[in-house]
Amino acid sequence: MQYDVVIGIEIHCELKTKSKMFSSSPVSFGKDANSCVNEVDLAHPGVLPCVNKGAVEQAIKACTALHLEIDPVVKFDRKNYYYSDLPKGYQITQQFYPIGTNGYVEIETSKGKKKVHINRIHMEEDTAKQFHLSEGTLIDYNRAGTPLIEIVSDPDMENGEEAAAYVETLRQTLYYLGVSDVKMEEGSMRCDVNISLKPKGSTVFGVKNEIKNLNSISNVQKAIDFEIERQSKLLDEGQIIEQATRRFDEATKSTILMRLKEGTVDYKFFPEPNIVPIRLSKEWIEEIQANLPELPDERKARYEKDYQLNAYDISVLLANKELADMYELVMKTCNNAKLACNWMSGDVLAWCSKNEKTLNEMSMIPSHLAEMINMIEKGDISGKQAKEVFEDVMNGKDPVVVVEEKGLKQVSDTSLIEALIQEVLNDQPQSIEDYRNGKDRAVGFLVGQVMKKSKGQANPSMTNKMIVEELNKRIK
Amino acid sequence: MIEMMKKDFCESEKHINEAIQKAQKLQAKLNAVVTFVDPSEQIENAKKKSEGLMSGVPIVLKDNVSTKGIRTTASSHILDNYVPVYDAHIVDLLRNHGAVNIAKASLDELAMGGTNLTAATGAVHNPWDLSRISGGSSGGSAVLVASGVVPFAIGSDTGDSVRKPASYCGVIGVKPTYGRISRYGIIPYASSLDHVGYFVRNVKDACIGLEVVAGRDDRDMTSSYKEVQHYSEVCDGSIKGKKIGIIKNVMNSITNKAVIESFNSLIEKLKSEGAEVKEITFDEDLLRAILPTYYMIANCEATANHANLDGIRFGKQMPADSTEEVMVASRTAGFGIQVRKRFITGSYGLFVENQEKLLRKAQRVRRLIVEAMHTALEDVECLIAPAASGIAPSIESEKMDELASEYLVAENHMVMGNFSGYPSMTLPMGFDEGCPLGVNITCKPFEEVTMFNIGYGIERCTGLKDLVAEVK
Repeated sequence: MQYDVVIGIEIHCELKTKSKMFSSSPVSFGKDANSCVNEVDLAHPGVLPCVNKGAVEQAIKACTALHLEIDPVVKFDRKNYYYSDLPKGYQITQQFYPIGTNGYVEIETSKGKKKVHINRIHMEEDTAKQFHLSEGTLIDYNRAGTPLIEIVSDPDMENGEEAAAYVETLRQTLYYLGVSDVKMEEGSMRCDVNISLKPKGSTVFGVKNEIKNLNSISNVQKAIDFEIERQSKLLDEGQIIEQATRRFDEATKSTILMRLKEGTVDYKFFPEPNIVPIRLSKEWIEEIQANLPELPDERKARYEKDYQLNAYDISVLLANKELADMYELVMKTCNNAKLACNWMSGDVLAWCSKNEKTLNEMSMIPSHLAEMINMIEKGDISGKQAKEVFEDVMNGKDPVVVVEEKGLKQVSDTSLIEALIQEVLNDQPQSIEDYRNGKDRAVGFLVGQVMKKSKGQANPSMTNKMIVEELNKRIK
Repeated sequence: MIEMMKKDFCESEKHINEAIQKAQKLQAKLNAVVTFVDPSEQIENAKKKSEGLMSGVPIVLKDNVSTKGIRTTASSHILDNYVPVYDAHIVDLLRNHGAVNIAKASLDELAMGGTNLTAATGAVHNPWDLSRISGGSSGGSAVLVASGVVPFAIGSDTGDSVRKPASYCGVIGVKPTYGRISRYGIIPYASSLDHVGYFVRNVKDACIGLEVVAGRDDRDMTSSYKEVQHYSEVCDGSIKGKKIGIIKNVMNSITNKAVIESFNSLIEKLKSEGAEVKEITFDEDLLRAILPTYYMIANCEATANHANLDGIRFGKQMPADSTEEVMVASRTAGFGIQVRKRFITGSYGLFVENQEKLLRKAQRVRRLIVEAMHTALEDVECLIAPAASGIAPSIESEKMDELASEYLVAENHMVMGNFSGYPSMTLPMGFDEGCPLGVNITCKPFEEVTMFNIGYGIERCTGLKDLVAEVK
């Protein structure tokens, strides 16, 4: 039987702020356990929450970039449940009045472009991290109170590819905004997928399953693909789907049942009495919106226009903001956009991974790389020679100096090459004869001889062209 | 009283030692103190703060005020071993003014109650008659001021928890406007109703006290940016031409002759000093709805506010096999029956199927009551009524009929001050059977100056100033 797949995604995203959502202690990752906490994060008796203005600003940026309507009155609510990773016994969130509603994001898949609607974005705080050991439970409160936004999509996606494209588009957008680190593997961006199947064309939704804690975009796709197959098989066999929470298992590439949903939990939401509603000034919102960093879509358009790169090249650059930023620096003085793109996304990235450095850690100066590429473009050095120069450029050296030192300069002086060609042809009458008889490989042999005489510095393509011209003259 | 002690600076150590000795001596009879505080460091601090408004003055804090390094129990077993890592905002302010905290005073467990009978350390006794209650929840603080141990004590007032015990103990109880004093570091009961308040024995001290503890605190988003006035200088005590409105419903519901007589006599004197007095009648149904409305809002907020008391990070932890079981065991062992009842009521009111008809409805009724107060205060500057229907009940007494108007209206009208956040204070107005009776006034938001001026007038009219109970 044919099914329509209905997918909605909830994303929790840690905001990049100096301090926590409701306290002044620092936000951190990878610090010593319980070193970034104060009495508010630990919910000691008598503490009160204080809204972090920086977090609200980040949320406004996210809402704006994702085309949501912003509620100018910020209100918070309590979500009540007892759990040892939740110090207060309630989470402060925005249940009733989220900061943003009704937005969308445009995704691109193999089937083309599509809008995925975003139902809401709300601000809330993160919980502590727990480690369950056989001896007991350890709790690290550093994460407790970290500002989060939750982005809830409408059930607009139909397959794993769309879901993956949606998550990747959000990831890039939020990263370019500077709103979040969006590291799925470190948990600063967490993704829960809701998926259900219904007979093709049916208007009645099927029973949904929630897949939790997907730690990479490729796993989002794999989990959905698996789940579609699992659910269709059950439905084909006439079985019923039970509402459940599942997790993706990396090893088996399958989803595994965590728990069946037994009625919904009553979180007893009610308005947070310690935070009076805050009216955001129109001017402040507009100022934030006016100063948004350039978003991936805008960059894409600019790269198409300014660099005339193809869609694939652009997507490779944009997927890595640091790479794209550096590419732009290189392009300030570089004359060949495509060549620069190839070097950046190929050799530069390979060098980084080989040397275990991030792009920001290298000592390479973008204008040096640009110069090296310009030298190739001009024919001053060959591609092969450039590979030799590259290593030094990556270590911060000026390619002009490197070429000089290594004596690598390619000879493009036609009279010099002309002289060498005459010499070689005079020495090799047999080759001229071969060429006359249609043996094209004689050209290659002759080029090789010229290169040899020039100690490898003759411009090979120029040499090739000139030899052919000379041979044609001589066999007339 | 505060000024006198302060001027007498070289004597301050003596004052402090006398206060501690007196508190220790009275402890067996009053049972007002939970923890005595070693004052030596604070005395050194006070010497450096000779300009402070309370330099060297011994004071007491209700035991729900967070004090760094000093055990703070909120009179609950679950916090029996809790030593805070931070000071409440008012503790910083009091220290800056050189005040010396000599004790943490008893309260109803987690400030939930009006009798001080539910404290983990047992009942607090009324210094005027030890067989009677102090009132609550700030009973310990009220009693330590009433018995002359200290001239100033911090309390907290969620539903008259400063103003009722003040009435029962013959002292002044002040609850200023919501937001006037930071709540940061006060172990809460119900956030939207909680106020920091205090006890003193005369209006002048009430003015000084507010100058010390009021003011904006960035850690409490509900605290006000309004400038703190120099109340003791600004207030001239004149009540000539002041418009005062008697809450007629309260008077109608009271049967106790002594209360009616002392109240009427006070009103006559106020009139003779030039006050314009009129009667104001509220919709009786609204006033009868105060108590259930209060319980609903307070308990809903309280059940969430105290969800942090789980034995995991601080407080009494009961051993168990998992964190979930630790939480259940610690909470079961740690809370008294009154508190548990309120948590259950609160939880019930928050359930999604009940919230609209319980909590949200209560919030709407609260709004109606506040609107009625607002309207009443358009015509007058101050509402006045007896603070209670009589003197402090006996510890062994039967509970009052909770559905009678005498209880619903006369005993609960001061909660309107918590609903609205309007400034409100209770002063002594007379005696019955050797025990004090109180009168309550409530003014418009942030009009503490008006409130203190009328307070001065009342103090003059009754002549009841600097009362100290002689504990027998």
